[in-house]
Amino acid sequence: MNSEAKWGYGLVAPTIIGLLILNIWPFIQTLILSFTNAKKFGSYDFVGLTNYVRMFQSTEFWQATWNSIYFCILTVPVGIILALLLAVFLNSKIKGKVVFRAIYFLPMVVAPVAVAMVWKWMFNSNYGIINDVLGLHIDWLTNPHLAIVSCAVVSIWSSVGYDAVLLLSGLQNVPKTLYEAADLDGATKIQQFFHVTLPMVSPTLFMVIIMRLMSSLKVYDIMYMMISESNPALLDTQSLMYLFYRESFVIGSKGYGSAIVVWTVVLIGIVTALQFWGQKKWVNYDV
Amino acid sequence: MKRLWKTIIVSALVLLTVFAVSGCGTTDENADTGGTTTLTFRIWDTAQKDGMEKIAQAYMEKNPNIKIEVQVTSWDEYWTKLEAGVTSGTAPDIFWMHPNEILEYADAGILADCSSIVDESHYSDNSINLASGSDGTLYGVPKDKDTVGLVYNKELFDAAGVSYPNADWTWDDLTAASEKIYDTTGKYGFMAYADEQLGYWNFVYQAGGYIVDTEAQKAGFEDEATKEALEFYINLQKNDWCPDQNYFAQTSPGDTFFSGNGAMFLEGDWNILSECENNPEMNGKWDVAVLPKCPNPVRGDGRASVSNGLCNATTADGKHKEEAMDFLEFLGSEEAQRIQGESGAAIPAYIGLEQTWVDVFKEKNYDIDVENFIEMFDYAVTSPIDKSRPSWKTAVNAQLLKIYSGSQTYEEGLQNMQDLVDQAMVGY
Repeated sequence: MNSEAKWGYGLVAPTIIGLLILNIWPFIQTLILSFTNAKKFGSYDFVGLTNYVRMFQSTEFWQATWNSIYFCILTVPVGIILALLLAVFLNSKIKGKVVFRAIYFLPMVVAPVAVAMVWKWMFNSNYGIINDVLGLHIDWLTNPHLAIVSCAVVSIWSSVGYDAVLLLSGLQNVPKTLYEAADLDGATKIQQFFHVTLPMVSPTLFMVIIMRLMSSLKVYDIMYMMISESNPALLDTQSLMYLFYRESFVIGSKGYGSAIVVWTVVLIGIVTALQFWGQKKWVNYDV
Repeated sequence: MKRLWKTIIVSALVLLTVFAVSGCGTTDENADTGGTTTLTFRIWDTAQKDGMEKIAQAYMEKNPNIKIEVQVTSWDEYWTKLEAGVTSGTAPDIFWMHPNEILEYADAGILADCSSIVDESHYSDNSINLASGSDGTLYGVPKDKDTVGLVYNKELFDAAGVSYPNADWTWDDLTAASEKIYDTTGKYGFMAYADEQLGYWNFVYQAGGYIVDTEAQKAGFEDEATKEALEFYINLQKNDWCPDQNYFAQTSPGDTFFSGNGAMFLEGDWNILSECENNPEMNGKWDVAVLPKCPNPVRGDGRASVSNGLCNATTADGKHKEEAMDFLEFLGSEEAQRIQGESGAAIPAYIGLEQTWVDVFKEKNYDIDVENFIEMFDYAVTSPIDKSRPSWKTAVNAQLLKIYSGSQTYEEGLQNMQDLVDQAMVGY
């Protein structure tokens, strides 16, 4: 190894060591735990595939898996389209642009727990402001079909500003000359958006989609705050991570909880792999 | 020269990283400086922090070489943290134990045997049971005891022309009053929601039923009395005067009550003081009564109030076990228990000191008859304790919710609850 390489390794070492200790090693431990009947106080026996067999036979588990996927379907497309529109809007020549950027970014700065708390009040079917304004009585949080949609609304609301800022940085890297050339060729604004803006911003867009998908599949905090243990819509709403939390920390079966986590990792892996395979068809890296 | 600078900077960075990584473990090591020992005392209730600190203060005055730090962790995190602490050897020196958890901790050999530092004659059998392991040994020093009472809004009763709840009330009076209040004022009557100690458990024991029989390793959901009581309790939500489970998932009965939208709900004594403090404008407009009794119990006299109690404990192999045991002994003394009562934190487990807690309300000019909580100790029932409970609690609750929502019949639900608990008990 030459001395330059040594320096290189030395400089990345703190990050790599941190990653190994804080992320990789716990994951390996989780993997091991998923083959045990670990309960409390760290004692356990290996039980082979029992946890996985129990998991794949559990309707609650499949419901949670579907809930996680459904949550992605609800949040990702709408969230990304809104973020893109917002980014284009914030990139145009309007007054007070900086103020708007700050306002849309604000939800990202607020603690997710506080966000969920406030939305929970607004969604309250008896005393909440939403039903009050609409003059209706809708069970936003306790109707088994609606509760997950309500959670999705909160998730989109809190993430759209952050995604828009990321996309905005992508938009600002698009050279003005391209638009000038398109203008000369007689392209309309809409044509410009689809044939210039979208391809040019696609690498950023791809990154944002991946990140949003992962965080939607891992959703936990919003649901935990808005859907309590006594909510009749719990089983129709809880995500895999919520199920994992309840199994591991409320009920205390760490082994089974670990199996759920491993499954979630596999699920995210599959979705991400599909994304990377699909990106070849639409992401444009030639600038 | 450039080379040298690089080396200096890199070494500095490496050193910083090492410090940052090792930094997490250093606080504990430095705890014993200057001959004083620092003990950590972990609790979960912010409302009781002052009371616990006063006790610690009294102890520290007598033992200048001991410093006690009271740490509050929220209930939701408490057990996750304590378990992690116990597993990794970083548990606090003294901590609160809850009957839900004590059996698992005690039976795993984690808690120190406290039988030599507790004079059992000062505590009720309830208190002793709730601080014991499956082997009958004391693994904690009883801290407090509680009962559940019926809290009611006087103004709504007056408006509806219904007389206030009293010791002669039965379930029938409860429903009749609720109906009248709803018809006259449009406000909710008795708010019956899916809760254990603050809900159906009381009704089950009043009817003569039971939740678990640890001797027979069986749940009580097949018992005739349990069934009758549960049916009565669950069906309360079918009345217009009681909000349904959808409502309670979003708005707590307490919030409804203190906003003047509901007339009655079951409340534990441990919440009363903070409710007085948080709702000063309601002072004098609400009160508490003993629980209404079952009019036609299958067994017994129809009276019951589910009583729980915490204890203070330490680990069997703690670093400062000797000091911790000494402080634990103090926590069980009359002096410490009196401070606890006088601070209003909780009703002392120590027999004869109940009045100290009652007097707090008089001193602070809260016009509320909390003596009723004390009165119910005469027929208090120990909260059902069973080692397997953490593993069936959520599942049973889920079944109950299914009955409430109508997605499963009452009979099916109860059968499932029975099976769930029976299976869980076998596994332990």
